[in-house]
Amino acid sequence: MRKFEELNHYQIFGIPINASAFEIRQAYKETLSIYGNDSPISYSFFTEEESKEILDRVEEAFSTLIDQEKRELYDKMLVHDKKIDPSDLTKKKQKVPTPLFSSKTPSGAAISKTIKKRIKDKDLKKTKEAILSKDMISGDDLKQLRQTVGIKIEDLFEVTRITVSILEAIENDNFGTLPSTVYLKNFLKAYAKLFEVDPKKIIDGYLKNLNHIKGTS
Amino acid sequence: MAHIFAVGGGKGGTGKSFIAANLGVMLARQGKKVVLVDLDLGAPNLHTMMGLTNLKTGLSNFLNKSVKNLSLTSAPTKTPNLYIISSLRCSLEVGNLFYAQKQKIIRAIWQLPTDYVVLDLGAGTTYNTLDFFLASHQGLSVFTPEPTSIQNTVQFIKAVYLRKLKHILKQHAFATAVKEVGYESDDGVVRSPLDIVDSVMRSDPARAKLLQKELGKLRFKLILNQYRKHMDVTLGNKIEKVCNRHFYSQFQFLGNIAYNERVYESIIARKVFVAKYPYTPTSTDLKNVANKMTGRNVQAPTLKETNAKV
Repeated sequence: MRKFEELNHYQIFGIPINASAFEIRQAYKETLSIYGNDSPISYSFFTEEESKEILDRVEEAFSTLIDQEKRELYDKMLVHDKKIDPSDLTKKKQKVPTPLFSSKTPSGAAISKTIKKRIKDKDLKKTKEAILSKDMISGDDLKQLRQTVGIKIEDLFEVTRITVSILEAIENDNFGTLPSTVYLKNFLKAYAKLFEVDPKKIIDGYLKNLNHIKGTS
Repeated sequence: MAHIFAVGGGKGGTGKSFIAANLGVMLARQGKKVVLVDLDLGAPNLHTMMGLTNLKTGLSNFLNKSVKNLSLTSAPTKTPNLYIISSLRCSLEVGNLFYAQKQKIIRAIWQLPTDYVVLDLGAGTTYNTLDFFLASHQGLSVFTPEPTSIQNTVQFIKAVYLRKLKHILKQHAFATAVKEVGYESDDGVVRSPLDIVDSVMRSDPARAKLLQKELGKLRFKLILNQYRKHMDVTLGNKIEKVCNRHFYSQFQFLGNIAYNERVYESIIARKVFVAKYPYTPTSTDLKNVANKMTGRNVQAPTLKETNAKV
């Protein structure tokens, strides 16, 4: 059991000393699945006393590391005993939870970057001015904006995460399949922001045009 | 000298012979010459797994001195490159092998003119089994994911560890260490080999280093057989982690082998499983384990998927 006694709190969990609270919780859970009371591994390896001793140490380690104040004191102690290198404490490379609905999938992030760059590099001043000078802005105008840059509708989806069917409906003024105004406004805003035109003007112009079409048809 | 794998494990019925037979076939398919040795003395059935009957030669010829060279007692199997030395015709009392005979067998196995030797050992922790296990380069311990099996596997590992420890202590004449621990514990029995190591560490740091080095040469491989869906995939890795943390030897988990109803069918049909059902997850798992044993996954590009799986 000596080997276990020599481990410091971080080594018990097998985590770096700059680990985030998230990492500590994960490692704690993992450690319990090995040394916990209902684990077949712990049951096979250790006697009841040994198992209790280990669990006490695990609990102590967790309660220390998860408490910011206690952890700082503990770290100071480790540094003082020269068990760890103080420079490791400040290293920032922490793992944080991945959001369940990430808008930036790894491949999407790369695509989104290149598209944004293409929009930035293109001189759109003339097209923008032409559109903004209009009172009513149609889907065709937006489409023209996109085509001037030379990107596909699927590319737009990668950046804005607005589904292709809605993007198509917007560009074709297909008010039958367009979402309700609340959502539509947000979609238009995202569209406008991407091409760096005034969102307010675009939304007002677009809705005006839409009402006009509805009225005439 | 041949590279020797021993397939052992504390509990019976975990699939030691099944794994030995199928890994033998997989290793032979790698284009290497392989000899399977049935060392489950007194309960031989490796030949049945291989679908062989009427074996004319075997270990008995070597033990009764009618054949001097162990390699002459091997019989070919249905797989090219794969040979078997069966203990089928040995006496019913062969389970209680004499020390000298055991040493003779071990020496002869070391000298077999082949690439790989796979030893199929019996269950339990008798000295014969432990010494055959220790005679190998890599000891494979097979277990299934039940508490009973894990418990016996740990027991087996501890028994092997203790046996090795005693060998080392004897060689380097510090037998007193064992005695000390014996007196220390309540009933005079050494329950855990870890206690001995701890005791030596405390009393004699210089020797402890030597002990640690010698124990570090011991290599265990773990195989989880009869892996069923919805089970903790990392169970084997966790056991590997705990072993590496608490023992001074090297442990490596080789992988899960999927449970398959057809294993039963193949044994009933007396056919080697990987030959009868090559396109099953179980066969793929066995292939991956065989590749890991020989370190082939390091170069083989076809094994990308195994790495992902592990």
